Amino acid sequence: MDAPSETAPQPARDGAAAARAIPPAHPSRRRLGRLSVGVRQHASARLQGAVLAGGLLTGLACAAAILVAAGIGPADLVQEFVVAIVTSPESAAAVLVQGAPLAIVGLAAALAFRVRFWNIGIEGQMIAGAIAATVVALHDIGPPALRLPLMLAAAALGGSAWILGPVLLRLRIGLNEIISTLLLNYVAFNALLHLLYGPWRDPENNFPNSQLYEPSEQLAELGWQNLTWALPLAGVLLLGGWWLLSISRFGFLTRIAEANPRMGEAQGLPMTRVILAATLASGALAGIAGFMICAGAEHRLTQSFASGYGFSGILIAFLARNSAPGVLAVALFVGTLFVAGQSLQVFYQIPASAVQLLQAVIVLCVAASDFFIRHRLRWLR
Amino acid sequence: MSPALAMTGVSKSFDGFPALTDAGITAYPGEIHALLGENGAGKSTLMNVACGLYRPDAGEVRVRGERVSIDGPKAAKRLGIGMVHQHYRLVKAFNALENILLARGASRYGRGLREVEAAARRTCDALGFTLPLDRPVGLLSVAEQQRVEILKVLVEGARILVLDEPSAVLTDREAAQMLDTMRRLADEGCAVILVTHKLGEVKRYADRVTVMRGGRVVASADPDAVSLSELTSLVVGAEVHHARVPARRIGAPLLRFAALTGARADGLRVLNDATFVVRAGEIYGIAGVGGNGQTELAEILMGVRRPLSGSIELDGAGDLCAEGVRGRGAGLAAIPADRAGYALAGSLSIADNYAAGAVLSGRFGGWFRLDRRAIRSATEAAMAAFDVQGARSPNQRAGLLSGGNAQKLVVAREFADPPRAVLAHSPSRGLDVRAASAVHARLRAARDAGAAILLISEDLDEVLLLSDRIGVMSRGRIVAEFDTPAKRNAVGAAMVHHA
Repeated sequence: MDAPSETAPQPARDGAAAARAIPPAHPSRRRLGRLSVGVRQHASARLQGAVLAGGLLTGLACAAAILVAAGIGPADLVQEFVVAIVTSPESAAAVLVQGAPLAIVGLAAALAFRVRFWNIGIEGQMIAGAIAATVVALHDIGPPALRLPLMLAAAALGGSAWILGPVLLRLRIGLNEIISTLLLNYVAFNALLHLLYGPWRDPENNFPNSQLYEPSEQLAELGWQNLTWALPLAGVLLLGGWWLLSISRFGFLTRIAEANPRMGEAQGLPMTRVILAATLASGALAGIAGFMICAGAEHRLTQSFASGYGFSGILIAFLARNSAPGVLAVALFVGTLFVAGQSLQVFYQIPASAVQLLQAVIVLCVAASDFFIRHRLRWLR
Repeated sequence: MSPALAMTGVSKSFDGFPALTDAGITAYPGEIHALLGENGAGKSTLMNVACGLYRPDAGEVRVRGERVSIDGPKAAKRLGIGMVHQHYRLVKAFNALENILLARGASRYGRGLREVEAAARRTCDALGFTLPLDRPVGLLSVAEQQRVEILKVLVEGARILVLDEPSAVLTDREAAQMLDTMRRLADEGCAVILVTHKLGEVKRYADRVTVMRGGRVVASADPDAVSLSELTSLVVGAEVHHARVPARRIGAPLLRFAALTGARADGLRVLNDATFVVRAGEIYGIAGVGGNGQTELAEILMGVRRPLSGSIELDGAGDLCAEGVRGRGAGLAAIPADRAGYALAGSLSIADNYAAGAVLSGRFGGWFRLDRRAIRSATEAAMAAFDVQGARSPNQRAGLLSGGNAQKLVVAREFADPPRAVLAHSPSRGLDVRAASAVHARLRAARDAGAAILLISEDLDEVLLLSDRIGVMSRGRIVAEFDTPAKRNAVGAAMVHHA
């Protein structure tokens, strides 16, 4: 059954745990009525996949039940969530447009989580990146032909600059990055409001957003539906992320930083540099996502372009288990939820928050399914 | 007068390994009773039985003459047995009173806190403790935290006090103060059991001493009636004869430790001016009682901790403590004592753990692409060569390996390239005889190939068996050096007399 190494009592050290472990013969097992719960030492990849799929299906079923309870017929659900997305080019395109920035913030979160850096500040980094890109746009820095690449680079730099402080504080003095990155979101947002209500207010209509970007500063359309170059850009970044996390030596080092950085240090591996590089890349990607939304969809800097993306990114990375192909799949899935949710809003008067509810239900189910990977259940007869 | 605590015939084994065999102790009210022995002699296990943390497989426990069954810490508490553990059980963010209240398990916070405060102040006054009761204990010094622990068991009404290695983390003055307090408690009628391996303390403070070795009681005596050297022989036992294999050719110094000084994370200075050299082709064994700076020495050598001052020169690589210099690149191999902390990542596969050692060398692909197939085949070859068993494939999690096989995996990785210098810290701890001798054979082979090997072990037998030269470490420095074969008693005496 269980490997003896983990169930063996540790003499002396942890008295409290040892005390609890004494009475039952198998301390790793517990009984709930006729159900016996044991710790699972090893789960095969196939089992993990099956359990995840089960969690996802349960979540979808719960979500469907909520929508049916809200008065939408099951047939209409299938129509909105499956048929419309597959058959209507507008809906399919809308999913892709939604999915591109979602995939990038998901990748940003995955990179940071891969080195156990809990980057809650993706929205702040998006804002910092978009502000940097807008500086390039408003001041017409560089020749028009190079304007977009310059904006992209500025956005990446802005995003990583916004995460640099938290990561240095964490590495130097152990400051909790969850707090620092979260709070820097508010700093970035208030700086954005200051700019939009102050120096960058649109002179043409006095609205609190920046001037429209010039055409050379907007991501061009691809020529099918309303898709822009944001989509290929997201594709390239995802490909790069896949290489970085799954193919390259750096990806291997991130897994050691995730599993046991002290072991990495003792092996002479540059753990600090790996953590620094992964988090700076995370910030850069978030900044690029900000640029992508501003230059690809809004065509200006607005107040709320980043709203909600930070938590979507965390959720996508979590469901994707920090892998790039997973991020792609989950981002498209969340994009579908957004798009279908919008039409539910319009045609069935379902409130916008219902979409968040559905997301949350699905995430909870998938998260809970983890229990079945770590534990094994048995019926006692 | 009936003894406060009488344990007889206590046996306890873990996974078939006997930790206690027919052991016992008899402590009377009004005495300080020292329980003396080496690491792993079974002192802590015996005391954990008394405190209800372990249930004995056999044996009898009597408290104040009555036969009792102590089936948990609460039962021990009810019987008036209180233990101050070596690693304090305190909530760092709570102040002393809250910690005491937590241990007492009072349900009403406000009233309970007032009661605890009154009792704690009474006890503090009686013992002359100066202790800020309202500061978070995380901000207190180690000695003050220990006082909180003592206060905790006293407020709970303990009349039988067990202190596990109480002076290990204290300065001499703090230790003397603590022991004076224990004397006062004994005079008031408490029975104090002092778990220790310091002979000096035993001679100075104990009314009676029980010596344990290998899970058995070997003597119970009046400390004034036995000499220090007799006590030493009782603690370390008779010489065990194993086949020593002396070094073939010892060369020039390869690894030089010069005036190395270091502190623990909490600021306590545990390494003081340690100076010694390890020559090519020899095993230099560091003997010493645990907690005398060995862990910090190993951590500094591995590059995971910075020294306060001093240097470690590896011939040809410069100062390993300097910024940017890593011993690993210069041929340093390390078998850390804390296998789960420094040697392996239990949640990663065996192959990933094996590859971690050479991933920067280019053997498993360059920066662009990691060669998973090369890793897999190299791991399979190493697992076969080093006899790593218990895994179906290299893709299995390393955390599932048993202790001996995990250690073999570590050795396989560290010795994948012939090392120039080796750190082996308690390399056979928790290993069975076969696995231990396999590790020893690897160390000897590396030595005979010309590597400088630093062996740090709290197991004196292991040091005596493997070393070509022995340094005794105490209070963070090398206090004595012995050529081998060394007299076991002489080394043992150097270990404990300086402590």
